[in-house]
Amino acid sequence: MASGIARGRLAEERKSWRKNHPHGFVAKPETASDGTVNLMIWHCTIPGKAGTDWEGGFFPLTLHFSEDYPSKPPKCKFPPGFFHPNVYPSGTVCLSILNEDYGWRPAITVKQILVGIQDLLDTPNPADPAQTDGYHLFIQDPAEYKKRVKSQSKLYPPIV
Amino acid sequence: MGGEGEDLEPLFDYHRVQPANFVCIDDDDDSDVSEVPIPKKAKTSQKVAKEDEEVKVIEVAADDDWLLPPPKVIFNKESGEDSTIKALRSKKMELLSFTKNVANVMQEVEESAKREVEVSLRPQLSEADDTQAQPEPVPNDRAKIVITIQDKKEQNKFRVYADEKFERLFKMYSDKANLEPQNLVFIFDGDKIDPSTTPSSLEMEDGDMIEVHPKKR
Repeated sequence: MASGIARGRLAEERKSWRKNHPHGFVAKPETASDGTVNLMIWHCTIPGKAGTDWEGGFFPLTLHFSEDYPSKPPKCKFPPGFFHPNVYPSGTVCLSILNEDYGWRPAITVKQILVGIQDLLDTPNPADPAQTDGYHLFIQDPAEYKKRVKSQSKLYPPIV
Repeated sequence: MGGEGEDLEPLFDYHRVQPANFVCIDDDDDSDVSEVPIPKKAKTSQKVAKEDEEVKVIEVAADDDWLLPPPKVIFNKESGEDSTIKALRSKKMELLSFTKNVANVMQEVEESAKREVEVSLRPQLSEADDTQAQPEPVPNDRAKIVITIQDKKEQNKFRVYADEKFERLFKMYSDKANLEPQNLVFIFDGDKIDPSTTPSSLEMEDGDMIEVHPKKR
């Protein structure tokens, strides 16, 4: 029953995404080599916002949905070691709207999650650090932080 | 008169049966003393039964009260229960078969829908072949889909044939946007679209959105 709810909702999310989504974003369920679609794992791309140090980067993000979705939020992961004060060394994003006990609401859409994470990229939350590297540079060495962000953006060029 | 007599008799007989039984037992005792004691009861019951048979109809009722009632009543009850249970079962079976019928109907509907889709796809393919054969086809029945093309500023909807190469759509967009198609990249689901493919080959659906990006350098 729970899985039915999760998959039904995800199918709807996918349907609406195909028809309309913010420019530069990608969000699609995982497709196996035999063509079968796994709605529980989505491979996404978040473009760095124009006018920020993140511009030009297209950052890969994977959404892991549980059978309890949408009661519980998906786990959102950048590649391990992603440089950002609010991203754990594992790549998991720490964000209030993605916290089951804090800001998550079942009505939050995939679109809102991805746009929320795009916002987070350039506006990190120093009150809730998840990695030492990014956090310390952000607090203590803004110049070096900026440099690191820009170089990371070059690491993830557009696919075109 | 006879009927009335029979109606009245059971009351009398009812009283008589007891003494009759006693008498019978006495008789049996007398006769069976030499024999095995176990068949006594059988004989008494047989005798009573015989008497009942002689007295007929209403005597049977008396007999029911006396010796065989529990089993007979139970039989009656069981048969009654059986019939109600059977009725319930048959109704249950009816309902089950009904639900099965519904399920079958649903399946049939699904299958027919699939068939229709296949049928509707086939003509497209055959017509695609026709278009190749005949340079100027009549494109009335070809499936059309609406594709939204999104650039950074706005979205535009285009109505195209699902089996037509993207080349033409890209040309339409480029003309409208006053840009050169070779300077643009069209992306569907994060993948660059090959202009020689078609919406149907990419399994695109009506209303799907593709993005256009300026080619970098």
